[in-house]
Amino acid sequence: MIEINGLTKIYKLSAKKKKELKTNKDVKTAVNDLSLTAKPGEITGLLGPNGAGKTTTMRCVATLLSPTKGDIKVCGYDTVKDAQKVRDSICFLTNEIKLDEHFTVDYLFTFFGRLKNLDEKTIEARKKELFDTFNMNDFKNKKIEELSTGMKQKASIVVNLVNDPEVVIFDEPTSGLDIVTARVVLDYLKKLRAEGKTVIVSTHIMPEAEKLCDKVAMIIGGRKVIEGTIPEVLEKTQTADLEDAFFKLFMENKESEKEEE
Amino acid sequence: MNKISLIIKKELFRVFSDRKLIFSLYILPVLIMFAIYGIMGKMIGSMEKDITEHTAIVTVVDATEELKSAIDFSGFSGNANINYIDSAAYETDKDTIVDNIKHGKADLCVIVPKNFDEQVEDYVNGGSTLPNLEVSFNDSENYSSQAYSMFTNSVLGTYKNQLLGKRYGDVRMLEAMSVTTVILTKDEQSNSQFMKMLLPYMVVLMLFAGVMSVGVDAIAGEKERGTLSSMLISPVKRSEIAIGKIVSMAILSSISAAVTTVSMLGAFVLMGSSGGFAAMSGGVSFSPLQIIELLLIMLSLVILYVGIIALIAVYSPNTKAASSIISPLYPLIIIMGMLTMFRTGKETPTIHYAVPVYGNALAISDICSNELSLLHFFISFACTLIIGIVITVLVTKAFNDEKLMFNA
Ligand SMILES: Nc1ncnc2c1ncn2[C@@H]1O[C@H](COP(=O)(O)OP(=O)(O)O)[C@@H](O)[C@H]1O
Ligand SMILES: [Mg+2]
Repeated sequence: MIEINGLTKIYKLSAKKKKELKTNKDVKTAVNDLSLTAKPGEITGLLGPNGAGKTTTMRCVATLLSPTKGDIKVCGYDTVKDAQKVRDSICFLTNEIKLDEHFTVDYLFTFFGRLKNLDEKTIEARKKELFDTFNMNDFKNKKIEELSTGMKQKASIVVNLVNDPEVVIFDEPTSGLDIVTARVVLDYLKKLRAEGKTVIVSTHIMPEAEKLCDKVAMIIGGRKVIEGTIPEVLEKTQTADLEDAFFKLFMENKESEKEEE
Repeated sequence: MNKISLIIKKELFRVFSDRKLIFSLYILPVLIMFAIYGIMGKMIGSMEKDITEHTAIVTVVDATEELKSAIDFSGFSGNANINYIDSAAYETDKDTIVDNIKHGKADLCVIVPKNFDEQVEDYVNGGSTLPNLEVSFNDSENYSSQAYSMFTNSVLGTYKNQLLGKRYGDVRMLEAMSVTTVILTKDEQSNSQFMKMLLPYMVVLMLFAGVMSVGVDAIAGEKERGTLSSMLISPVKRSEIAIGKIVSMAILSSISAAVTTVSMLGAFVLMGSSGGFAAMSGGVSFSPLQIIELLLIMLSLVILYVGIIALIAVYSPNTKAASSIISPLYPLIIIMGMLTMFRTGKETPTIHYAVPVYGNALAISDICSNELSLLHFFISFACTLIIGIVITVLVTKAFNDEKLMFNA
């Protein structure tokens, strides 16, 4: 269970960042008063264009950033006050989190298993299960640097899932993956859902969200513009699919985003 | 505690399973050390050997028979190519001879006055002109200076004694007293000027280089590659990650410090056995107390360096940024190490030992010359250690800062 209550995250902009964003303001409101609940046994999707604030939201949920305003509870624990407890029950997967190239998949799996308080027996059992699911057995004794980009990402997923977390936070799950691997990953997310885990994913690929998610929330310019199951969203927007719904909402909210600037 | 050791084990495994890292951390510095000391030892040794083996080119004008025999008798002719000419020949070649000495092509020219023997006789019989030999050499040329001092000491000494002996029968009658000279060097001072000069500088600099090559990558490198985040979202205290990193940095650089020191002492022993260098390295020996002092000073220095570099690395987005902040520290540390070479004979004020890096260099230099007092050792060790620990605590705090990862 993830409960986000009025999350606002404001970044202070460095001189370099200002240049990058072509702005002379000192701060950037990346997420603005966002509330959302992700329930166990469901896959919740955060949808939105680049720069909408999806990654920022997920980093806040994963305890890597603390909210400027509002609060987040994961399995009932506050992400700031009880960060250690939250970290015990989550797994945060993203392109940005990488594995140290010097080690083998097997070594890192064991290392992170121990770091996450697992005993050797559990680690071995999880290793067998995950290596089988993701077809990693032939690669487990290879150093990360010897793996292809897709394999690296698979290895990262496998290693981070070692603690069988209650909550899986996945930023852009299929980005950079070939279709075969993407399918394996999406299937695994569905399996986690079936096991009653709370899964939250972010994506800007609407058809993917349509196939995967039970519930979606669309974010534009840091604000949540709509939330609900896919049929609910389609009905509210009077559109035929998520992509159309997204464009309709995007056009409507572009104006308010302008005002914001 | 368990997790700290887990992190330390991983960090150490990372380095020791990487041949390239081992080479650049532990083997390269040793090779550089041996190369520097080896080349210097060879150069100094061969320079001295060359000078003593050089055949001096000497011109003697109007030599008397006694002078010729003194030249042969003193052994000077054995190592010199002597050209005896008369004053007529000298007049024609004068310019060439002077020029050759000026340009290092010849080493010495001795001019005996035409009536030298008569002058000597006259002087004995109450004459007023003291007989005079004219010796020209070039004091900017090692060979020439060497030839000059050989000639005046051995040839003229022998010649003078011959003349005086002839005059008075026994030369000893001329002495007011005889002096027996015993040359005493304070044994503990070991005459190890050279080592005393270089060791502090080397230790202070090599340790820094060692810590830098490990530390920048362990923190800023991991940030840059995105491998630190997976630890940050694991249920481990940030302070545990920080301590794990810092301790492993300290272990790795302590090993490099130990390797460097041992190889440096090894280089001394090796070089010491080869001729001219022996005089420069002196009988290098350390008492167990001195070795402990040296190691403790190095340990405090390692902790200080690890703290400084970790702190910079934590706040740098990547290794390049970290290196660009750290590189200006290099000249600073080189200067601190060098300053110990220019100490005057005066007592160094105690407060100087409290200055981090400089104080440590002073202490190491004093250990080499057996002059380090326990007070100075303690001040140097404690001050560096305390500053190092304070910085380390700051690093641990910095790991909790979200700026660490996202500059947020
Ligand atoms: N560290 C940061 N400092 C300043 N601004 C940032 C930082 N990270 C992200 N931003 C800005 O915040 C906004 C949201 O970014 P992000 O959450 O990454 O969006 P998304 O993941 O939806 O593409 C963007 O405008 C981005 O430029
Ligand atoms: Mg993103």
